Parts: sequence; C-alpha cells; structure tokens
Amino acid sequence: MSSYSIRTLDELKEFLHRAMQLEHATIPPYLTALYSIKPGVNQDATQVLRVIVVEEMLHLTIAANILNAIGGTPDLARPDFAASYPASLPDGETDFEVGIQAFSREALATFLKIERPAQRPKQLAGKGLIQRKTSANTTALGSHPRYEDLHFYSIGEFYSAIAEGIEYLEAEAHRQGTTIFTGDGSRQITPEFYYSGGGTLFPVTDRKSALEAIALIIEQGEGDGGGIYDNDEHELAHYYRFEELVKGRYYQKGDQPGHPTGPQVQVDWEGAYPIKANLKVAEIPEGSELREAAAAFNARYGEFLQLLTRAYNGQPSLLLEAVPTMFEFRNTILELIRNPLPNHPGMNGSPTYEIPGSTKQAAPTRQSEVIA
Amino acid sequence: MSNRFEAFLGLSVELTAFSRFDLLGTGLAERYLATLDKVVGVEITDTLLAAFVALPPAEGEARIKAVRTTILGNELLGDVARALIKLWYSGTWFELPLAWMERFGSRPADTTFVVSPDAYVEGLLWKAIGAHPAGAKAPGFGSWAFPPKIPALPELDSKA
Repeated sequence: MSSYSIRTLDELKEFLHRAMQLEHATIPPYLTALYSIKPGVNQDATQVLRVIVVEEMLHLTIAANILNAIGGTPDLARPDFAASYPASLPDGETDFEVGIQAFSREALATFLKIERPAQRPKQLAGKGLIQRKTSANTTALGSHPRYEDLHFYSIGEFYSAIAEGIEYLEAEAHRQGTTIFTGDGSRQITPEFYYSGGGTLFPVTDRKSALEAIALIIEQGEGDGGGIYDNDEHELAHYYRFEELVKGRYYQKGDQPGHPTGPQVQVDWEGAYPIKANLKVAEIPEGSELREAAAAFNARYGEFLQLLTRAYNGQPSLLLEAVPTMFEFRNTILELIRNPLPNHPGMNGSPTYEIPGSTKQAAPTRQSEVIA
Repeated sequence: MSNRFEAFLGLSVELTAFSRFDLLGTGLAERYLATLDKVVGVEITDTLLAAFVALPPAEGEARIKAVRTTILGNELLGDVARALIKLWYSGTWFELPLAWMERFGSRPADTTFVVSPDAYVEGLLWKAIGAHPAGAKAPGFGSWAFPPKIPALPELDSKA
C-alpha cells in the first residue's frame, strides 16, 4: 500500500467528489468546441463531439451513483466544484492545461491528452505521485486531496486509486461484518430517469457494481486494456474517436491503435467561429448585451448545478426536468459564440463557465490587469 | 464592424424588436445584408440605411412615428423594409409586391427563396412564439410538458 492509497471512507468520498468534478470539467470544453462549429460543415466532427460529451454526462452521473452507494452526498454546488479554465490535468510525467476554445487542431490535441490511455513506464512503477508543473493557482483536476501539489500519472491512475480504495475499505468492513455500501438505494440514478444518455446506467449497490462503474468510465474514455474499443467490442473509445478527426480517417474492426484504415473523415479546420479562448466576463465591455448574456448564462448554469445536486440527492426525476435546460444551454451557447467580442476584432464571444459562488474562479484582479 | 453593417444592425433591431445580441446570435446578419444588396441592389439598400441613420434621435412614440413615416410609409423603402422583417423572422426572402415592381422595375434576383438551411433554423419567429423549427433545434425530451418560453417584449415607452 503506497502513501497515497485511500485509507478512510471520508477520503474515498472526497475522491468521488473529485471524480464528479473531473467528469463535469470535461463537458464545458467539449460543448464549446461542439457548438463553435459553423452550420453546414464538420458533420463528422459534430457527431463525434456530441457522442463524447453525452458520455461524459453519463460518467458524471455514474460517479454520483458510486458516491451515493457509499453514503456520500453529491454536491455540484460546492464552492470548489466548478473548475476555472484553463484547469490542469495529469498527462504522464507532466500535467497540462485544458481550456475553453473553438474547434481546432489545438483543441483536439488537448482533448486527446484528456482521454489518452497511459501506463506508467517500468522505471516509474511504484514511484508515487508526480510534482505539478502547472501553476498552483489553476484548478488541478483529478488530484489527491492530501497532496494538492502533486498529480497522478494519468486519469486512469486516479480511478485505479478509487477502485483500490473501494476494495480495501470494503474488505476492512467485511472483516468487521459490515459493508461500505450503506447508501439509500432510492438515491441511485437508474435508466428511467436518464433519457438517451450515451450508455447504460445501472444502480451501484455493492463492490462488484462499483468496480464495473469505474471500469465503464475508463473504457469509454481510453479503451479496454490497450485496445481501441470498450470491453463490449462495439464502441470506439473517446481517445480513438478524437484521433479519427486528427488523422482524417475512421477506425474499423481489426485496426491497431494509431493506425485507422477505414473511410476518410472530412474535417474543415477553418469551419468554426473564432472564439477567444478562456474568455472571462471581466474581459467583455460593461453594459454590452454580450456581457449581460454571458453573465446570465453563468447564473443559469449555477442554478442547473443546484438542480443536478437535488436530482443526485434523492430526487432523480428532476433529471427529466433538466433536459430542456440543457437544450436551452445549447441555444444560448450558439448565440454567445456567434456574437463578435467587442474590442477584439476577428474574435467572438463564448460561454465563460464562471459559476457564481465558486471559489475555483481566477481572481478578478488578474483578469482586469490582462485587459489593461 | 463597418458603419454600413452597424446601420443595418441598428435598423434590423428597430424593425424586428429583437436585440443586437439576438440578431448577431443567429450568425446570419452579414448574409442578410448581402441578401439585400443582391436582391434590391446596393443603391436601394444604401438609401434604406441612410434613411435609418438620418432618423431623429427621439425615443418612444416619436421614434416609432418617424420609422413609420420615413421608412415603412415610404413608397420605395416600405416594401423593402417589410421584406427584411419577414427575412429575419422566417429566413425566407419574399418576392416584393407587384405594385413595387411596376413602380421601380423588377429585379432578377427578387424571387421567393430560403437564404440557407440555417436561415430557416434561425428564423426569429421560433423564438418569438417559444417554439422550434420542425426537424431542427429540438428542445429536448419532455420539453412539451412545460409552457413555451416567450421572450419579454423590449421596453417601449409607456405612452407607446
């Protein structure tokens, strides 16, 4: 057992909170890239991004199910939940920043890093966590609650720590004749509350279903055990879907990772609105309609996170009410992205995802210095 | 943004009662100005924009009256302005009335046509009535159980 292994139930709950944060944090970058695509072009890319972002929503809900299964309290309105962009993520021996930007080669390079399957090389095996290289001011996603200045080798390793924590704590509990799966079953989100959600949602009630849930998240992202498909062999993992766009070619059955041999994929890298990356409300002129709309979107998004929190805390039917809100977000994001950004010729607006009441947002003073 | 485009946007805000943000949010403002140029010609478009820019800066009732008499009531500009309103609301350019063509001459590009596939989708009429275009921009499963969201009318002068 290494120094960063999960030892207490409270720590496992905190890890699962961070897993929810991590899964949620991938949604704004993917959504923004998706809706930055101009009408009539990049239909393949639109489809790829749409499928992936919906699966990230599923992962968020799965993580909430695991947390509920062990008696935790999912809280998407907790001040440290919503990430400030750019936020940092582990990628092997370095960490990198993931931000809000338009569909582009740069955006795809970042998305590949998010989903990259990564095994520690032999010389690093058992060497523990790695020193952060990104600024301590950025939100570190998938980090260890006890070691904020360090990061895991990969997101896969972060989830492995959770899986091992579940095994360890459940074995301990068993020795004392109990279980860690004491959560109220009515708090589980099951398929009837989850419409068209990118895969099967199942209740987490015990060690087996919890480990299956974690495996599903990892396999949909990076593939199963080095292969390009998830373990059902029918769905290409996110990493390889993004790679299809970068390489301009679809994968087909029998292909090796990195070498798709299927039909060509048409990608128009210019076919996206030129949004300003990681825009903050403070950068939009005061009194402008764009600023008002960006701030209104953030407030509405904050309310939405509260709605999800209630849904994950015993009112699963609220998820059905949340559906029209998500489609409303699509319409607003499209409008924000099509509006030119005042004082920035050739650049457009963007949702900023600065959630009111969140402590993870960049200090406003730093932003005003940037403008000045 | 050019002065010409600014004037077109200002005119469109006044004619449609939607905000600049809403109009720019359709992603179609430039294309609609180009449509006007193509169908009625740059000269008439410029006359329309000049008439808008020259409007007295009055607000409320006086402003509305000025738009009515100077633009909507003008023999040359009125029908063009009405076609522009319909264009914003439906994404379709509607052929100008026969009387206009007889008076000012018909234009080869002046036929009824949908500007582009996304113009249909982004028509303001859907937003105005809290609905969505059939086959596009679906509002999500179960949204029909909620009342339609109709945007508030922009604040007009209370006397208006």
